[in-house]
Amino acid sequence: MDTAMEAGSEASRVRVEGVWKVFGRRAAEARDMAEAGAGREEIREAVGSVVAVRDVTFQVSPGETFVVMGLSGSGKSTLVRCVSHLIEPTEGTVEVCGTELTQADSATLRDLRRRKMAMVFQHFGLFPHRTVVDNVAYGLEVQGIDRRERQERARELLETVGLEGWGDHHPQQLSGGMQQRVGLARALAVDPEVLFFDEPFSALDPLIRRDMQDELIELQMRLRRTLVFITHDFVEALKLADRIAIMNDGAFVQVGTPVEILTDPADDYVRAFTQDAPVVKVLQACSVMRPLEGTEVDHGWPKVSETTPLEAVLPHLLGSTDPVLVCDEQEAPVGLLHGDEVAGVISPDR
Amino acid sequence: MTAVDGVRPGAGGLRAAWRGGPARFALVLGGMILLVAAFRILTDFGVFPESWNIGLADPIDRARRWLITNQNSHWLYTVFLNPLTDTMDWAIRRLESLLKWLPWYCYPLFTGLGLWWTRGRIAGALGLAGVTLIGVLGLWNEAFATLALMGVAVLVSMAIGIPLGIAAWHSDAVARITRPTLDTMQTMPGFVYLIPFVLLFGFGRVPAMISTVIFALAPVVRLTEVGLRTVPQSTVEASEMFGATERQTLRLVRLPQARPAIFAGMNQTTMLAMSMVVIAAFIGAGGLGQVVLQAMRSINVGKASEAGIAIVVMAIILDRFSTGVATADPGDDLPAIRWLAVVTAVGAVAGGLAGLNEFPKALGWRFAPYVNSLTDWARDNLYDIGGSGIGTGPFSDFVTTQLVIPLRELLSSGIPWPAMIGIGVVLGLWARGPRLAVGIGAALAAIGLLGMWELSMDTLAQVLLAVAATLAVGVPVGIMSSHNDLLRTALRPVLDFFQTIPSFVLLVPVITLFHVGRIPGIIASVVYALPAAVHYTDLGLRRVPTETHEAAESFGATRAQRLRQVEMPLAAPELMVAVNQVIMLILAMVVIAGLVGGGGLGLEAVRGLRRSDAVGRGFEAGIAIVLLAAILDRLTRAVADRLRPPAAV
Repeated sequence: MDTAMEAGSEASRVRVEGVWKVFGRRAAEARDMAEAGAGREEIREAVGSVVAVRDVTFQVSPGETFVVMGLSGSGKSTLVRCVSHLIEPTEGTVEVCGTELTQADSATLRDLRRRKMAMVFQHFGLFPHRTVVDNVAYGLEVQGIDRRERQERARELLETVGLEGWGDHHPQQLSGGMQQRVGLARALAVDPEVLFFDEPFSALDPLIRRDMQDELIELQMRLRRTLVFITHDFVEALKLADRIAIMNDGAFVQVGTPVEILTDPADDYVRAFTQDAPVVKVLQACSVMRPLEGTEVDHGWPKVSETTPLEAVLPHLLGSTDPVLVCDEQEAPVGLLHGDEVAGVISPDR
Repeated sequence: MTAVDGVRPGAGGLRAAWRGGPARFALVLGGMILLVAAFRILTDFGVFPESWNIGLADPIDRARRWLITNQNSHWLYTVFLNPLTDTMDWAIRRLESLLKWLPWYCYPLFTGLGLWWTRGRIAGALGLAGVTLIGVLGLWNEAFATLALMGVAVLVSMAIGIPLGIAAWHSDAVARITRPTLDTMQTMPGFVYLIPFVLLFGFGRVPAMISTVIFALAPVVRLTEVGLRTVPQSTVEASEMFGATERQTLRLVRLPQARPAIFAGMNQTTMLAMSMVVIAAFIGAGGLGQVVLQAMRSINVGKASEAGIAIVVMAIILDRFSTGVATADPGDDLPAIRWLAVVTAVGAVAGGLAGLNEFPKALGWRFAPYVNSLTDWARDNLYDIGGSGIGTGPFSDFVTTQLVIPLRELLSSGIPWPAMIGIGVVLGLWARGPRLAVGIGAALAAIGLLGMWELSMDTLAQVLLAVAATLAVGVPVGIMSSHNDLLRTALRPVLDFFQTIPSFVLLVPVITLFHVGRIPGIIASVVYALPAAVHYTDLGLRRVPTETHEAAESFGATRAQRLRQVEMPLAAPELMVAVNQVIMLILAMVVIAGLVGGGGLGLEAVRGLRRSDAVGRGFEAGIAIVLLAAILDRLTRAVADRLRPPAAV
């Protein structure tokens, strides 16, 4: 939690504080029961309403990927809709790019959505009556940009997501993975600072899902946007996140970096996820390494890149007692991996 | 063993059996028989007493006389109704004269091109031939009259219906009003809409148009609303997330996605308008309906067939075109169609200026004489084949004396009226609950108080017989078609055809064979309702999931067992919907059959439309028809709901 606070102390892109969402009547009563520690079922039976999000607070810094991970019914989809203000939170404040949404009038909110944020949906939310290029251009059309310009921009973005030549098809003629690329291109078309992803890859089959995750990581390295990413897939969360929030029964159970979650799970609920995670495949060198910070290095030590998965690092560590050097794209050393530390992360009784 | 011992059919099991299906229904039935017996033995009630007639006819006749005398002086007319009448009449006239100004050849050509564009080359060629046929039969002017009246009615329906549908989607308050209103409007036979407007406007095209608009409005409103409601939420959210205003989302996302539904609504509205415009001949709408009506009155079957065929051709063309518009994809033919359309348009204007508007007489050909001689032959040879006592005549007589009259007697006097109301109440209680029971009781009592008891029971008897006959044929055919894709494919166009043609036209071939009387009415309604019975039975059985079939099969169930124990129970609600549809279609037809001597409420309503001194009685008959329709509709729908398995929690 400390790191979360530190990350937010800078000018944060998304700031969420004390957000509650209660569906149904008698919201205040339901909220009080929840504060007193009552579970969701208990509250539903007593007052008939559902507490979907309870007292959630977090901040996301510029360029950070913040992943909210939870099982179905944990309230994660409701949370992302509260943050993007597709639904009104019952209580609490939400700030995006410095604008307080809870107090904004509809014109301000609309303006913010047109320029600063965008969302990618679980079932793509593509418009079946529009061609792919008109789908991508939709955000620009809503802003009133003329046809030629918006089409040109849309075609550029289709190229970015690898769909050049598909612009004149209709979305339903494309495969699921391609459809979600259209969804991504459509979100990127308005050049948003903050992107919301509501389980964008869960409707795709596993191989396509992995490709899409890799492409998103690559895209994010280039574009450095602020991402709020919702998923029910713990492995996906580990792979994409700078920080992960584990959500259960409407509340955050733990917030931390992937390594923190793996090495120091807050409770049995979180531990249950970490136990089955293929840690060595998912974690990359950069997320486990100790930053150099002036430490002397020996250039004879084995070198790996930042994005190398741990399983590819292990042979180096097992073969000798030397640490492994982690280098950035310019081959400059940025961190060190020590055998005992890595062992701490991957051991089953961490 | 202990496990088996544990499952004893306790009180709970008995209560479940008691609540559910057959046992309870048998009890209800037994109770009703006891009720009738008790009334018959202990009292001397019979037909609903005539002295209780509240005499609604007199004030209505007085109102009618008052309206006629004040038509040119009272503010209701001078300020409101007359300008409205004039405007609508003007619009119809303008459209008609425009239609007549254009040269005759542009109609077959434009129709052919339109159908080519929406449905392909063969449909285009058939459309061209069909329109030419109307001209060949010498019904050009009548067809224009029908088309103009219908065109204006459809335009007005769209202009009202689409915004109303949007309003009903947008506001739950509006939907709460429109939905039950539309439901009620759709259960009423089209015919009864004519009565109040004749009262208010007299005879002519304007009351015809207004009743057509009201009759045809429901589908476009309903489907616009449904279309908008079923737009996937995710696309709406996506639009909102891009900062679209509500208007932008409606225009760019919701309406385009609702388009297929709205088009379907427009198609249904057009078809309803078509059938109503034909029926509206009863109140002087003119056009093709008028030709059929007059020919039928003078038993000129040949003439009636010609006009009937013209109506059917028009209906089919309109249906094919309007169902095809939403999905039109002419592919490679598009340039040719465009080019030809431009040429035809130029030719149309040129021909119009040159005054080539009359369909050339040289192309005329009539088949009426042949049909008439066929009718004569049928009368001489089929009515009573060789004096053997076999033929349509004896068949009619047999059905009339052995089935129709006994059933009518049973319903109107055999069952004492309080017992009849009691039966209605008990059925209502069984099917849904106290509210429906009270409603049915009140409606039956109101029929009695209107002095329409005997006529209503006459109509009810005809309806019940027709329903029985329709289901006896339709359900087995539906079952066969659900098991046999080949049969289904073969039946499809036949069913489509019968569902497209306006009800009124069906009377023509039937009176060819059966003359006038109750039997042709009943037979026409059976023919009219049969497609619905087959279609819904087939649909219901096909909705039974494959996995359920396979499960039953894996337990070694025979085909008959599967049908009886699995498919029929699962399809039961759907079958009840079939019964509901069949009843409503038959009631609508039986009422129209009043024209060909069907008797009952229909005859009374027809008389009311024809003779100014019978308007009051006609009005009463109209109300009785509406009440009867409401009772039968609610009751069958309640039973359908009962049969539905409990919804998932």
